[in-house]
Amino acid sequence: MKNDLTRRELLAGAGVGALLARPAWSRAVTAPAGRVAVARCKTYGPELVPTMEKMFDQLGGLGGLVKGKTVAIKVNFIGVRWSRLGNALMEDTYWTHPAAIGAAVHLMGKAGARRIRVVEGPWSTSESLPEVMYSMNWKPQDILSAADHVEFENTNYLGEGKKYSRFMVPGGGLIYPGYDLNHSYEDCDVFVSFAKMKEHSATGVTLSMKNVYGATPITIYGQDAGADEPSIRPHGGRGNVFHFATRLPSKSAPQQKDMSLPKDAGFRLPRIVAELNSARPVHLAIIDGIKVATGGETAGGGLKAAVNPGVIIAGTNTVATDAVAMTVMGFDPLAERGKPPFARCDSTLRFGEELGVGIRDLSRNEVVGVPVSDVVFSYPAVREKLQAGQKRG
Amino acid sequence: MALNAESIPMRWPAGPLDIARGEKTKGFTADTAEVLRNWQDPASLAVVQGTPINCLVVSWAADAGQQQALKPLIEKGKQAGLEFVGLIEGEANKPAAAAAAQSAGLSAVAMEGDAPASGGVPVIPWNTAAQVRSTANSPVLGVADGVWPGVPQERTPTGGPTNLPWVDSNGAVLLIARALAPDKTVWVGFAPPQPAKLAAEAYMLAVADPASYGARWVISLDDQLRADLTAKKQPAADTWKKAIDMLAFFEQHKEFRTYQPNGLLAVMSNFAGPDRDLGEEALNLLPRLRQAFRVIARSRVAGASLTGLQAIFYVDREAPDAALRKKLMAFATGGGILFVRSNWPNPEGPPAPAEPYLLFNMRAVGKGRLAVCKEDQPDPYDTVADIQNIMSHRNDLLRLYNAPSSNFLYETSAQGGQGVVHVLNYSRRAGSDGPLFYVKEPHKSARLVSPELASPAELQWAPQEAGGAELSLPRLSVYGAIELEK
Repeated sequence: MKNDLTRRELLAGAGVGALLARPAWSRAVTAPAGRVAVARCKTYGPELVPTMEKMFDQLGGLGGLVKGKTVAIKVNFIGVRWSRLGNALMEDTYWTHPAAIGAAVHLMGKAGARRIRVVEGPWSTSESLPEVMYSMNWKPQDILSAADHVEFENTNYLGEGKKYSRFMVPGGGLIYPGYDLNHSYEDCDVFVSFAKMKEHSATGVTLSMKNVYGATPITIYGQDAGADEPSIRPHGGRGNVFHFATRLPSKSAPQQKDMSLPKDAGFRLPRIVAELNSARPVHLAIIDGIKVATGGETAGGGLKAAVNPGVIIAGTNTVATDAVAMTVMGFDPLAERGKPPFARCDSTLRFGEELGVGIRDLSRNEVVGVPVSDVVFSYPAVREKLQAGQKRG
Repeated sequence: MALNAESIPMRWPAGPLDIARGEKTKGFTADTAEVLRNWQDPASLAVVQGTPINCLVVSWAADAGQQQALKPLIEKGKQAGLEFVGLIEGEANKPAAAAAAQSAGLSAVAMEGDAPASGGVPVIPWNTAAQVRSTANSPVLGVADGVWPGVPQERTPTGGPTNLPWVDSNGAVLLIARALAPDKTVWVGFAPPQPAKLAAEAYMLAVADPASYGARWVISLDDQLRADLTAKKQPAADTWKKAIDMLAFFEQHKEFRTYQPNGLLAVMSNFAGPDRDLGEEALNLLPRLRQAFRVIARSRVAGASLTGLQAIFYVDREAPDAALRKKLMAFATGGGILFVRSNWPNPEGPPAPAEPYLLFNMRAVGKGRLAVCKEDQPDPYDTVADIQNIMSHRNDLLRLYNAPSSNFLYETSAQGGQGVVHVLNYSRRAGSDGPLFYVKEPHKSARLVSPELASPAELQWAPQEAGGAELSLPRLSVYGAIELEK
């Protein structure tokens, strides 16, 4: 199934199509507004499923989106899995929590999803996602049994597919004109980005937009990717290609448009992430802000803390959803380079807006559920507290 | 005194032979020569007085000058209870040197290649790891080409394919030597990087890395440290004390040397010839994948127990004999996984297409599986990564989180009631977080012992919702051992 066909199908068939589809494909077209639901949820216990169900209802209901459809849920299993923040569990800091994944799967199954595939490209491995989960002492069967027809796929490589799927950036893109991804991102009718509410060393924040970055296969965009064709195995990270442009992706994939562009991650990544969101639109963004870590996307280096903001955010548009999440985190979603959290990088949200993905101005989006001001959990305040403690210590 | 398995060796460069060799090397100075002259003085033996070191390895040859120069040192040392081993290197006249060793009162000589027919003194085979002589008639087996352990300074510390930093360790070659010669004590030789002023932690790790793997480092000091010890400089004395404390720690825990590596995976090979590299590299990489494992030498397989194993990686391209093949297939049909090379003749069982793995074709055999490698010369990392994947993390006995520059080795006593997890930090710096271990099976107690701790620390079990428990260790600069009791 081609990507644009998926979009047309959604427009034609989904009750919430007007909210979910992204009609604009170039800078000349105004980006669509989104609807974003905010909820308190302090734990991953029994309150989780009803809370998420209510949020999805506030967005127009899951049925119209997923009934009879194939859903791909891109979760976030970032970084070297063996590095945790002290004793804190990975799911309580950096990775989308398995209970939250299970809740989303359950609710999508309940809403009539025909097939649900949980996808992610975990760091430098061809292991199956259940294997990655076992290494964290999770029970993947809890997710598999949360609904009928649940699957997992590691999208770091070709996986179960016969070939990679190409997604072109409408309007031609800013750095890359398009991307080759695992077939799972084309096979789905509905694409969900289920992120963790975190800061990021190279992009300021990593939320539902940045989560899509992890869809890029290491076999094409990794440090040991094949020069001409994708490698068979995924080795290493994506930094050489995407962050610093010290090597090219496999020649089989769309190549960088202009090699004279800055080789600065703070310049490149926000544009690349926006391109990916434009090329492979997200229909539902969910951000797990129940238990997270502040100070960066992974453990190691800097001042970091495991915290409990107790909030979930979900929306029909990644830019709008991330804008709400940034506000909850104590940041200004309209901030530009030079202002936190974009002190050393451009704003991913801004390029999302430029590429017509969505709007970052909260006043132009619809925010429902708990007022944002009631759930603000200031990440800068946590940082200040940690800095003060460091000075005292 | 005869050389025995409990001898604790130290390289003792001294005399005209070492001076002559040094003069041929870059950076050799008059000061260094002076230190070598000082170390042939019996007074220099004060350096090892009060330490566990009881055997000095001196340079030896059929060279009257060297023999005469070392005579007072050897006599005084023997009076103090020290043994001496003569290291015969290069193109020396080995029979003559060995004969001279006997008359000089040396306990043994160490040399590359075959022992002279009538040496007179015991000969320690002193060969490269790839040429190790496991059948030699000596209680000690030498590995001459060990590596200075640590995170290599000259490489980018961003890591190997595992994305954990690459580390240099002697673990693989020492485990192979132990597997080939389980009745011998393995000595490994490696010299400090020169010129370098090494921190105490570098020497602590140089002691701990071989000792954790059941072997002994032939302690070797850098020129500067030898000079500073001779000059009685306090920083040098402090460094030396920390290295000796590490050495003493392992002598206080001799029981560790009676334990054997344990894990659900056994790596089986003859560890020789063209298959040596894959076997050795697998043993280098498995600790970086944080996979517990055992090592079985094919020559010893008849007496090896396969009980408790989930999988065997039969490394060799050379097919097993009928008896071994029968034993391996009995293991697989009984529920195990047998990993074999691509040339495994007439693979048993029907293909199991529902299990598509990148590097292995799976076949169903009885209650278990036969995994046949798809490639003739597989990449070692891909091989062990796929083996780990097929075995599944759900069965992990142990997992190590955090401490990215650390390796662990899990060993258990013969009856399995006691275990030890050696934790080695190759960065030689305590990280921001201490190591965190997941332990699958219940144990009565867990205690951390380390020369870095004032006293042993009882570790608290943190039960995990999905089973097993976690043990949180304090930050360690170099080494600690978790003593487990069932």
